[in-house]
Amino acid sequence: MGILTLTEVRKNFGETEIIRGVSLDIEQGEKHAIIGPNGAGKSTLFHLISGLYNVTAGTITFKQEEIQDMTPYEVSRLGLARSFQVTNIFARMNVFENVRCALLWSSGYRYSFWHLLGSQGEINDRAMEVLEQIGLKNKALFPAGELAYAQQRALELGIAIAGGAELVMLDEPVAGMSHSEASNAVDLIRRVTAGKTLIMVEHDMNIVFDLADRISVLVYGEIIASDKPENIRANARVQEAYLGEVAASA
Amino acid sequence: MATVRKFSLWGGYLLVLLALPQFFDSILSISIFNQMAIAIVFALSYNMLLGQGGMLSFGHAVYFGLGGFLAVHTLILIEFETVYFSIIFIPLVGGFFGLLAAIFIGSFSTRKAGTVFAMISLGIGELIAASSLIFVSFFGGEAGVSGDRTFGPLFFGVDFAQDLQIYYLAAIWVFIATVFMYLFTRTPVGRMANAVRDNPERAEFIGYSARRVRFISFCASGLFAGIAGGLFALNYEFITEENLNAATSGRVLLMAYIGGLGYFIGPIIGAVLLTLMNSLLSNYSELWLLYLGVLFVLTVMFLPRGFAGFIMMHQVAWVSGTLRRLALPYLITGFPAFIFILASVAMIELSHTDGEAFQYLGLSLERGSSIDWLLIGGVAIAAFLGTKKSLPQLRDAWEDANTLPADEDS
Repeated sequence: MGILTLTEVRKNFGETEIIRGVSLDIEQGEKHAIIGPNGAGKSTLFHLISGLYNVTAGTITFKQEEIQDMTPYEVSRLGLARSFQVTNIFARMNVFENVRCALLWSSGYRYSFWHLLGSQGEINDRAMEVLEQIGLKNKALFPAGELAYAQQRALELGIAIAGGAELVMLDEPVAGMSHSEASNAVDLIRRVTAGKTLIMVEHDMNIVFDLADRISVLVYGEIIASDKPENIRANARVQEAYLGEVAASA
Repeated sequence: MATVRKFSLWGGYLLVLLALPQFFDSILSISIFNQMAIAIVFALSYNMLLGQGGMLSFGHAVYFGLGGFLAVHTLILIEFETVYFSIIFIPLVGGFFGLLAAIFIGSFSTRKAGTVFAMISLGIGELIAASSLIFVSFFGGEAGVSGDRTFGPLFFGVDFAQDLQIYYLAAIWVFIATVFMYLFTRTPVGRMANAVRDNPERAEFIGYSARRVRFISFCASGLFAGIAGGLFALNYEFITEENLNAATSGRVLLMAYIGGLGYFIGPIIGAVLLTLMNSLLSNYSELWLLYLGVLFVLTVMFLPRGFAGFIMMHQVAWVSGTLRRLALPYLITGFPAFIFILASVAMIELSHTDGEAFQYLGLSLERGSSIDWLLIGGVAIAAFLGTKKSLPQLRDAWEDANTLPADEDS
C-alpha cells in the first residue's frame, strides 16, 4: 500500500454525482498527475483528499490513517499540503510572514501565545531558506497581495511546501503563466518537491508528461486509466476522451 | 540597533504617560487624561478583534462593562472588608471577568467571522444591555452601582483619593496593557490571527483551525477590554448600563477606525483624538456628535487607513528626505480648507443657535441677518473653490516627493 490510498471514493452534490467511485494508490516519492477535461472533478477530488469537502462514500488513507472525515487542519498536520488553483495567499501580510505562518504548526508552536517570534532563531532562518528556494528573498518585506502574478504563484507554492509535508498536492500550478514563467515554475516545482510525493492537476500536457512518473485520467468522475506517461499517450480510450479533444482544440 | 530603537520607543511612551500631568495639571486635564487612559486600552483591545483578527464587533462594550461592573462590586467588597487587597489590582479583576465573559460568548460567536460574527455580537450586546435593567441586584438598574476606591490597604501610603493618583495608577496599567497587547501580535497565535483575517481557508491548510485562532484572539481582547472596564470603575467609582450598551460599542469602533486599524498605534491615536473631541468640543458645541459623525464619514471615505495610515503614508518621503517639499503645498491647500471648515461650522451653528446672536471667533453673527448668511456662505464657497483649485499642486508635490531616485527592481 502506498502513502495515499483512495478506495471507492464518491461525492454527490445533491442529486449530482461528481466523483463516481475513484480508487487510486499513490506510492511514496511518486510524481503523479491527474488530467481530464473540464468538469471531470479534478478539483473536487483535491478538495476531498485535503479535507475541504467530506466524502459521500469511500475511504481515503494517508500514511495508514483514515482521513476522509478529517478537517483541513487535521489533514495538514499529518503532512499533506496543497496549493490552490486560484491564488490563495495572505494578501495583507508580507511575503516573509506568509511563509513563516506556514511553518508555525510544523515547528511545534501550535496555538502558543507565550512564545515571541523575534527576527532570529530557527523558524526565521527556515522561512528565509524557503524564500531563497522560491526566489522571493529580495521581496521578503513586500506585501504579498502586491506581488506580480507569477511571484504570487511561487509564494503559493512556498506556503504549501514550507511545513515540510511529505505529500504535496498542486492544483494547476502554472495556470495563467506565460511560457517562460511556466518553465521556470516547472524547474521550481521539481526542486522543491525533490524526495517528496507529488500529486498535481495540470492542463498543460507538456508539463504533465515532463514532470509525472504516472498519470491518471479522470473523466466524468471516474478514473479511466492510470499508467506511465508513455502508456497513457498510447491509450486509445484516453485519446478519445481527452487527448483527442486537446489535439483538436490546439 | 533595532533593539535600542524599540526600547527607546517604549521608554518614550512610558515617559510621556508619566510626564503628562507635569505639563497639564488642571483638574480638567487630569480628568481628560484618565478618560484617555481608559479609552486607549479599550480601543487597543478592540483592534485585536477588528484590525488584527478581522472580526467586526458591534458589542465590544459588553466585556468592558461586565469587567467594570465586577470591578465596582469588588470595590464594595473591599469597602465592607469581605476581601482585603489593594485597589491597584482592580483592573485585573475587571480583566478576569472580561476574559470569562469572552470565553463563554466566544465559544459560539467565533465559529464564523464576517456578517455572522457581527450579527451575533450585536445580539449579545443588546441582550446584555437589556438584562442589565432586569438583573437589578448586579447591575443596579438605571442608576448603576457605585463604590468607593479609598478603602482597602494603602499602597505605600497612597489612598487614591485624588484623580491624579488614579492617573498614575492608570498610566502604569495602560503601559502594561499596551506592552502585552503588542507582544501578543508577535506570538504565533497573534500572527495566525492576521493570517486568519486575510484568508481563513488557507490558514486551515497550514494546520490551524480558523475558529480556534479567532477564539483565542477574542478571549485576549475580552481580557483587555475588561482591564479597561476596571480602570473605568477605579476612575469614576460607579458604572451603569450605559457603559455596556451599543453606544459605547459604537464609540470604540469609531476610535479604532478613525485612528487606523492596520497599525498598532492607530487605536491609541483614535482614543486620544476622540477623547479630546468628547471633552473639549462638547464644551463649545452641543453639536459635537454631528462633527464626530462627519469626521468618521470623511475618514472612511478619504483616509481608509485612518490617521495612523495618513502618517505612515509619509514614510517614503521621510526616508528619502523629501518631506520638506510637502510643507508649503500642504499649507497652500490646508489654509483654504481650514477656512472652509470654519465657515461651514459657522453656518451649522448659526442655524442651530437658540438666541438671535451667536458669538463666533470674535464675531457676532445674527441668525436673522441675511447679510451675515451671505457673507459666511460666500466665504465658504470661495474657500471651497480655493481648496479645489489648490489640489493639483498638492498632487504634483506628492508625486515629486514620493518618486524614488532609482527603482529597486529585482
